[in-house]
Amino acid sequence: MIFARAPASPLARSQLVWLAALVLCAQLPLWRQLPIWISAVGSGLVVASLLLPADRPLPTRVRRWLLPLLALAVAIGIRVSFGYFLARDPCVAFLCALVGIKFVETRSPRDGGLLACLALFLVLTQFFYGQSIGAAVVALPTVLVLGGALAALREAPALPAAWSAPLIATARMLLQGIPLAALLFILFPRLAGPLWGAPTDTGASSGLSDRMAPGTISELSLSDAVAFRVDFVGRPPPPAQRYWRGPVLSRFDGFEWSAQTRIRGGRLAPDRSRAIEYTVTMEPNNRQWLFALEHAAGLPRPPIDDVTAAVGPVRNIAILTDDQQLLANAPVMQAIRYSQRSTVSDRFEAAGEVDSRENLQLPRGNSRTLSFARKLREQSASDRAFIAAVLEHFHSEPFVYTLAPLLLEGDRVDAFMFDTRRGFCEHYASAFAFALRAAGIPARVVTGYQGGEINPDGGYMIVRDSDAHAWAEALLEGTWQRFDPTAAVAPSRIERGLGAALPPGEPVPYLARLEMTWLKTLRLRWDAVNYQWQRGVVGFNLQRQRDVLRDLGLAAASPWQVAALASALAFVWGLAILGFARARHARADPALALWSRLCRRLARAGLPRAPSEGPLAYVDRAAARWPQWSALLQRIGETYAALRYGPSDAARSERISVLRAGIAALPSPRQMRSPG
Amino acid sequence: MSSATAGPSWIARWRQRLWRLDAADRGPIVLRHRRIYILPTRRGLALLGTLAIMLLTSMNYSLSLGHALTFLVAGLVAAALLQTYRNLAGIAASPLAAGEGFAGGEIRFTLSLANPGASRRGIAFAARTGPPVRIDLPAGATRPVQLSVQAPRRGRIALGRVTVSTDFPLGLWRGWAYIHFPSSGIAYPAPEALPPPLPQGLEGFDVRRSARAADAELAGLRDYHSGDALNRIAWKAVARGGGWYTKQFEGSGAGGALELRWAELPPGLGVEARLSRLSAWILAAERESRAFSLALPGAELPPGSGAAHRRAALTALALFPGESTP
Repeated sequence: MIFARAPASPLARSQLVWLAALVLCAQLPLWRQLPIWISAVGSGLVVASLLLPADRPLPTRVRRWLLPLLALAVAIGIRVSFGYFLARDPCVAFLCALVGIKFVETRSPRDGGLLACLALFLVLTQFFYGQSIGAAVVALPTVLVLGGALAALREAPALPAAWSAPLIATARMLLQGIPLAALLFILFPRLAGPLWGAPTDTGASSGLSDRMAPGTISELSLSDAVAFRVDFVGRPPPPAQRYWRGPVLSRFDGFEWSAQTRIRGGRLAPDRSRAIEYTVTMEPNNRQWLFALEHAAGLPRPPIDDVTAAVGPVRNIAILTDDQQLLANAPVMQAIRYSQRSTVSDRFEAAGEVDSRENLQLPRGNSRTLSFARKLREQSASDRAFIAAVLEHFHSEPFVYTLAPLLLEGDRVDAFMFDTRRGFCEHYASAFAFALRAAGIPARVVTGYQGGEINPDGGYMIVRDSDAHAWAEALLEGTWQRFDPTAAVAPSRIERGLGAALPPGEPVPYLARLEMTWLKTLRLRWDAVNYQWQRGVVGFNLQRQRDVLRDLGLAAASPWQVAALASALAFVWGLAILGFARARHARADPALALWSRLCRRLARAGLPRAPSEGPLAYVDRAAARWPQWSALLQRIGETYAALRYGPSDAARSERISVLRAGIAALPSPRQMRSPG
Repeated sequence: MSSATAGPSWIARWRQRLWRLDAADRGPIVLRHRRIYILPTRRGLALLGTLAIMLLTSMNYSLSLGHALTFLVAGLVAAALLQTYRNLAGIAASPLAAGEGFAGGEIRFTLSLANPGASRRGIAFAARTGPPVRIDLPAGATRPVQLSVQAPRRGRIALGRVTVSTDFPLGLWRGWAYIHFPSSGIAYPAPEALPPPLPQGLEGFDVRRSARAADAELAGLRDYHSGDALNRIAWKAVARGGGWYTKQFEGSGAGGALELRWAELPPGLGVEARLSRLSAWILAAERESRAFSLALPGAELPPGSGAAHRRAALTALALFPGESTP
């Protein structure tokens, strides 16, 4: 099928150009996603075969042998470069190259049709990698070109330059089709889960992970990317309390902090009356953590505006581990929304003995910090006093908060504490937790986001990767309590964000800076548009669909009722389009429209007009058939003849109304047909 | 010509309505939704299949924009369906003329098409045989369209059912309608390829010496009709740009009227062979502008000449035996 031959009626060059435009439009958005050699093969073949002289096409022998071999080679290349083949991304890559190969051997209109179908599917694949407004905008012209290519395949354009007419015609049809498309988009049933098993492709993960080495968080902080957006039901908490808890790290090997095996069974924070309610819209990051303000008073649920929440039991979308991490049931691969309750607090009750045992482990080395901590503990009256002393140490000694710390070697905690004294939040959190453990206080590192910016356009909060943060918590008297050593070094980081805390000259991400330039205002406005896009279009899923149905008063409608409604609306749509076309034609010449209305009525009454018959002859014939209305018919005929063939003078509009009234005065075709 | 159904009348009615197998259409036929069928073309089916796969993919990966793209293209396909329908609906077709020709050749029929609505593109007319004729109809235009029907044998050749179809605008849908006018043309017997010389005239005049110029006098010019002999065309008028005319001759031509008699043909010849020879002789007489009479069993034509006479004679041959000439 794909390598079909038989060039029955070879495609004209203009048709090939249309197909090439379609294929290139479909491949273009994938260039960023696929290995460069795939794009080169796929698009290069298209361009090359167009540049080949038209009178010297590729020999049949070459096409018959070389192209299948090329396809095979590409398949092997993909297997080698991806390491696997039967998955989404390698298949997209193969399709992208295959469309190019298919183009080279496309000779007949039949091949052309097949190629158009393949290219259309290729347009869809770009949405695997992103569903931004930009992706949608890029796909639109491709659909126009698809229409142009189909029109060209039907009939080769007479002039190669006549490329705009099919595009305009397609645009008109697209506009006509949009109501139907919107209807389908809203009413077509959405699935709660995948059809054939969860898509298992492991895309690139972003954001926080279950490991933290020096540099992990500062690297993340360089990015402007949005981690999640939050709609608060009431007022958002003050900046210093915006701790979005993420991965909790208990193991330390001297270099890297990493997470424990996670156990379900965390206890929710007491759901006090002043709990904060909010809805989080998370960007996909291919990881399992859902973020909530410290500390969660409930599990994440489908958004509160969803009917299902009110109607029946909801399947939990996440669990709470014993160290207070919210873990989604599956990695977040598309934007998800969940509503969340939190009781803002910096402490929570520990699970038990296990916690204290696990969070005292120390790696070997770093003896200077060990002895410093133990000595300081001896000097302190209590654990709390000791912790205050450590924070004071960070505050009073010349520690520098910076995105560009010096390289640490050997005993890294010692080197940081006593030599370089320059670090980002992960250095402070790590050294702080280490010092506490050295003094016998169970402590661990918590990563997440701290802060968030309210977008004046839309009133929601944006939390970016530049808000990524690491802090620590210590187990004191059976309660885990949050301590943020960064706040001791650079208090403005917690109060006002990264841009305020870093010294001038640091590579602060543009949107994390404080000054409100017009460009930043514009970017925030754009983010608001994006947020609406995410919520309304990309995030349109089963829940949102139910919301819409409920708003339309169809919450209780059965599927077949919705289907019947959709069919009826589609029917009305068809009649409207046809009626609109007729009306547009009629506007061109009202006299002609009225005359053809008369002809239709008389034809239905049993007296069709002969094609060559003039208006006067026709009404004469009609008058002979229906003598009782002959005067009226004659007058209609004369008025029309005067309108059509007479001078166009001031009496024209008057004549038109005479014509309209005359036709309206005629009895219905059914009456005219009945004898007598 | 007659209905082939034996079942109850409603079955026959529906058969006729669906397939128009009987030549029951009279007068101008306006194509309306009752007559117009629309089904996807192969390309349309392929595209619909692609859309189905795209929909499944979008559902599986929960691609909202995938849904949007799929439905957008589906809307385009649906709008194309309406355009295909609109391209056909409202066209009025009526039979204009039925031509004549020789068996083994083609008979030309002319239909008149009126387009009261907006302009139409790429409408194909196809008779049972012969290539389809594609035309565009500008808004408000009336155009003739000529259809050729193969005439495998002599006699009346019906135009048969005409299929009006279009795949405008995107080639995804094919809309079509059947029109079945009772028009029929006449196929004359094919002239014998190498006929023996014409029989001698009444006065023993040698045909081969015939000189049209000698006796036949130019009676005048008439409008050219397709099929007129090339040597009768008034080429001077054509060259002057004055249009196409055919010279008409009066008079007995060479000597006297030929007598073409069925009975005088060699007795060994079969019916069709006789008709073929007579056909060839009539053409030869016409070429040489000689008057001739024709005598067939059951039919007799008095001596005469000219196009009308020739047509009457050939028609008598075509319909031999029996049926009266129209």
